[in-house]
Amino acid sequence: MSGPVTIIFETAQGRREVQAKIGASVMETAVMNNISGIEAECGGACICATCHVYTDNVPEELLKPMSSEEDDMLDMATAERRVTSRLSCQLRVTPELNNTVFIIPENQF
Amino acid sequence: MSAPIVIVGASHGGVQLAASLRQSGSDQEIILYSAEDVLPYHRPPLSKAYLSGEKDIEQILLRGPAFYDDHKIDLRLGDPVASIDTSARRITARSGDQAYSKLIIATGSKARRLTAPGHELAQIYTLRSLSDVLLLKEAMGAAQDIVIIGGGFIGLEFASTAAKLGKTVTVIEAREKLLMRALPAGIGDFLRDYHAGHNVHFHFNANFAEFEGDNGTLKAVRLADGTRIKADMALVGVGGEADLSLLAPLGLKMVSGGIEVDDFGRTSSEDVYALGDVAAARNLLVSEPMRLESVQNAVDQAKAVSAHILGQGAPATPVPWFWTDQYDLKVQMAGLARPDAVQTFRGDKDANAFSILETVDGRLVAVFSVNRAADHMAARRLIAEGTPLDPDLAADAGTPLMKTVKTV
Repeated sequence: MSGPVTIIFETAQGRREVQAKIGASVMETAVMNNISGIEAECGGACICATCHVYTDNVPEELLKPMSSEEDDMLDMATAERRVTSRLSCQLRVTPELNNTVFIIPENQF
Repeated sequence: MSAPIVIVGASHGGVQLAASLRQSGSDQEIILYSAEDVLPYHRPPLSKAYLSGEKDIEQILLRGPAFYDDHKIDLRLGDPVASIDTSARRITARSGDQAYSKLIIATGSKARRLTAPGHELAQIYTLRSLSDVLLLKEAMGAAQDIVIIGGGFIGLEFASTAAKLGKTVTVIEAREKLLMRALPAGIGDFLRDYHAGHNVHFHFNANFAEFEGDNGTLKAVRLADGTRIKADMALVGVGGEADLSLLAPLGLKMVSGGIEVDDFGRTSSEDVYALGDVAAARNLLVSEPMRLESVQNAVDQAKAVSAHILGQGAPATPVPWFWTDQYDLKVQMAGLARPDAVQTFRGDKDANAFSILETVDGRLVAVFSVNRAADHMAARRLIAEGTPLDPDLAADAGTPLMKTVKTV
């Protein structure tokens, strides 16, 4: 399947569904769709930890495993680190992510 | 009603300032002028993921297209500012005159060019803006022998992208080592060897003399000692300089090649601020104002200017940080290199994962990391806090850097 994929972002203001491009990162999808709370200061270089998301509602097998670098960065993220914490710049949109929800922490920086 | 806040330059810092003002609740009119006709974008990926085709323009935009309207930021694309009159508080752009209440100069820097014989040949490029990279990208397919003049960050990032594409790459560096101003020799030498392992050739202590052409086509690059290096494409990466073209008539106080600003980004002229590559400021580690060409510097200065415009307190003095990606190496720098610092090594060079710590009186002033993100992130905090480290613990790569603080 190569049709549009819907990604849902949940913030304190509520949920928003957006159309995502397959192959783009979840961070890039958020930025393109003007989702507040994803700062992505470094533009996806995995060096600022300002694109932190919680993946509580995403089946783990749909996400690529975390690199040690991402792991290290998450330790230093501003918002509380949870078991479901990921950096959205490291997650690629795939057809299987259709209708999944990414939760944005309240304080990113 | 007061005149708008006018930001000249939709750079990373310019866009951040507009965003910070809105985030902090300002409802004043904001006009953001850009000389370019594309939405503001991240520059670091230009020499890497964008050049290699891994990312397209949509993937490197600073903010999505709807951001500017949604936040009532009047983004004027393709609208270069031609002159500034600080006494009349007006600017003149292509679209016309505009009065301002606050003016922010965020015009960034431009690539330094060479004026040696042959510099007008078509196959000689610089790498700074999207338009530069579009030209480069188009030309790169057919090029085989690429000579890079200048072993700085841009030159080395381009070298890694070109080497991965199977090009023959030669780097000409005027000094005896790579990146001598920014990095300790231990990192510069490591990068040299890593590039050499990817078939990049180096000429050190090499003075560039001229571009040799034939019927308008680049054929070679010639060094002062007569060495001739075959080339069908050349990249000039000899650093950036602040874009001062608009500023000469303003009489602003200048220092270190930039506009002198204080901790709030204020220039010597009332209600005129400068930020990013064009500004020279003090930071936590230096007492003399300096220009820093980095995302971190642009973003932090933008936040400081926003705070001042809105009458808020000064944000904490930032620790400079920077990164460069080459091949599978992520080189990260926190703080600034100092010649008088004591160096401590931690990690494993053979595993391509190590850091060099620099301390003065036991306190961290800089950390240079290769593939050790945790060290880098910890360093940003430890340098800001200025707490002394236990040197033995710091040398042990198995102990997290955050846990190497000396206990009294």
